[in-house]
Amino acid sequence: MTAVLVAEGIRKSYGHHQVLAGADLQVEPGQLVAVVGENGAGKSTLLKALAGTLKTDGGTVELTGTLGYCPQQAVLSDNLTVGQHLRYFAAAYQLADLARGESLLDQLGYAKYRNTSAGALSGGTRQKLNLTLALLHDPDVLLLDEPYQGFDWETYLRFWDLVGDLRERGTAIVLITHLVFEQDRFDVLADLVHGRLQLRSPHESPSGGDDDRP
Amino acid sequence: MTGPEQTARPAADADGPAGFAQFPTALRFALRNQTRNRLAAVLLVVFVPVWYALMMAMVGHQSLSFKLFSTGQVLVVDGGQLTLISAGLNALSLIVGFAVFDAIRKALNFDRRLVFAGYRQAGLIGAKTLSIGIIASCVALYAAVVLLVFWRPSIAGWLAIVAGYAVIALTYGAFGLLLGVLVKGDLEGFFLIIMGGLMDTFLQNPLGNPLANKPVLEWFPSFGPMQFAVGGAFGNTALWGRLLIGLAWSAGFALCGLVVFRVKTRTRRHQAQPVAGRDRRVVTAH
Repeated sequence: MTAVLVAEGIRKSYGHHQVLAGADLQVEPGQLVAVVGENGAGKSTLLKALAGTLKTDGGTVELTGTLGYCPQQAVLSDNLTVGQHLRYFAAAYQLADLARGESLLDQLGYAKYRNTSAGALSGGTRQKLNLTLALLHDPDVLLLDEPYQGFDWETYLRFWDLVGDLRERGTAIVLITHLVFEQDRFDVLADLVHGRLQLRSPHESPSGGDDDRP
Repeated sequence: MTGPEQTARPAADADGPAGFAQFPTALRFALRNQTRNRLAAVLLVVFVPVWYALMMAMVGHQSLSFKLFSTGQVLVVDGGQLTLISAGLNALSLIVGFAVFDAIRKALNFDRRLVFAGYRQAGLIGAKTLSIGIIASCVALYAAVVLLVFWRPSIAGWLAIVAGYAVIALTYGAFGLLLGVLVKGDLEGFFLIIMGGLMDTFLQNPLGNPLANKPVLEWFPSFGPMQFAVGGAFGNTALWGRLLIGLAWSAGFALCGLVVFRVKTRTRRHQAQPVAGRDRRVVTAH
């Protein structure tokens, strides 16, 4: 199968501190890839580089199709309601209707907050909206930076149901995670060690670096 | 499982369907954002009339000399009425500057995300500019209406005050925009707006500043609006050139602010290259 996301030789330094030292990654349609690594290893930097929100020092990213990016911190407008966020991003993505957004509200279980301002939402619900905005246009490639922070257990399970739906649709997903117990859910684990990605299956032991424990 | 009928579809038109056209949507939400500042609303309702009343009570009706720089004419005017104009300019500079600064600063990351998602920067910039213009004009009209409780100038004089107020509100709205995209912290921005607005408008009034009729004041943002409002209210003249100076300050601040906004919301979003079918081949070289 042809990869929909191909990153080669991504390099990024902050001053003298090299965070990414030639990271390579390929992701195919429907594939679910976990990026794991120590705190400060550069996981969020890698995802920003893949998304194109961060200027890197070198390397290339090739993307086929549309991209959705869910940042680690919810980026919302506190004065706008959930419904108004959906309309704002529907205009950004040039969508014809809000059907997908409504469906996501139901799937993530927060449709009752449609008319609530983002500033009045709990942390977990803000994170649901943050995720919804990244998914609204049904992207072909999805980059998620610890998307379930603040989720309760039920929502966490709903999230994985949603991921299952997306994979069936053929969405390629790259997700940063710290949770060791969920690693069996992924097709590939990508350990970010010394600025490079070391790919392995979930059943192999890491060859270097220690993952964070929850 | 989400059914195929729930699949998001790109709109045929580049500006989206009527319901989600980019510019009207951005304008509507920019207005909502900038009118949700409760402190600014309270200041508007309470501070403006209280400030007028305080100035009127403190200054009384002593005579003051005020120089119209374009004609060289020195007007001898009622100090209380002159101070009302000056107090209105001062209140507008603070309230509009504060409201716009707060809204722009808080929305910057969100605007960056919108641009990343496909919003055209020009649409966001146009909407923000128009929303600041609408809000500045409405607030200026309100302050001029409240003024009538304390003083009834001629209709032409009142209209000149409205124009002066509108221009100072636009100027400090644009200043708030510039600070909103430049300054990271609340306090720094508020301090700059308060210091700038107080110094600027205070210096124009001969009541508090013996040097108020010196040419150096021409280089301050409130010079044009003050000259136009006083010339219209007391001298029956319309000093359009002075009003244009005020508008030039407004345009200058807005231009600088919007350029910085454009740079700060610029995204390295992958550039699309057309290929067969719906898929797009996208290549980014860093």
